[in-house]
Amino acid sequence: MRKFEVQTDRESAQYQEWIRDFEAAARRSLKQRMDYSFIRTYKPVLDDEGFRAFQTMEDYRRWCESCLPSWLGYGRSV
Amino acid sequence: MAAPFSYRLAQEIAACFSMHKVRYLFLGKSGAIILGFPDTTQDAVLFVERSSENSRALVSALVEMGFPLDAQRQEEILQGKDFVQIREGPFDLDLVFAPDGIERFEDAARRALVVEGLPVCHLDDIIRSKEEAGRVKDQEVLPRLRAFRDWWWERQSQGASGARE
Repeated sequence: MRKFEVQTDRESAQYQEWIRDFEAAARRSLKQRMDYSFIRTYKPVLDDEGFRAFQTMEDYRRWCESCLPSWLGYGRSV
Repeated sequence: MAAPFSYRLAQEIAACFSMHKVRYLFLGKSGAIILGFPDTTQDAVLFVERSSENSRALVSALVEMGFPLDAQRQEEILQGKDFVQIREGPFDLDLVFAPDGIERFEDAARRALVVEGLPVCHLDDIIRSKEEAGRVKDQEVLPRLRAFRDWWWERQSQGASGARE
């Protein structure tokens, strides 16, 4: 699995930036937050069928890893 | 292409599912966003209680909302699959009946929060399910999501409103 090295120390600039984001979001209404947050872009393969049903989550995970482009991020490795 | 999910559509789910008595919770990043997590996502993800009665109610509600579920698709939902992905209809929707990291719907429902009528899994459950799923996109979001949980807890302990358990 690819490792993501993210600096999450509370004193880090990254962490402080996240906190500012959280506080800014908290000042918005739920409607604003949701309407800003949900976007729609075409995802190859994933969006090409109107309906899929998987017997188990493991079946779904296997399908994601074998059928979807890895860059979509649905697999356990890139 | 379906419209992006929105506050209005979430409220339509809440109203329609309530009328049909569907037991469900928002899960995944869509749930975190409802709890205040500032990020983007594409799909609404619902954790739906697995029972024949609830599945029948779910199918009725989805048909009423305009999802094109023919008899075969309805049957697939009624059979109790773990995961159903719908990309036709008023918006994209993922239905999860057995999410990674959450043993029973009842447990998640007990910990759940309600925000403006929308039932949402607790952040701990959202995080646990992403940890267990272990996808690349989950690994990418988890550090920020954990930071949000810590910030959210501190804010709740200071008396911030917006969600009720």
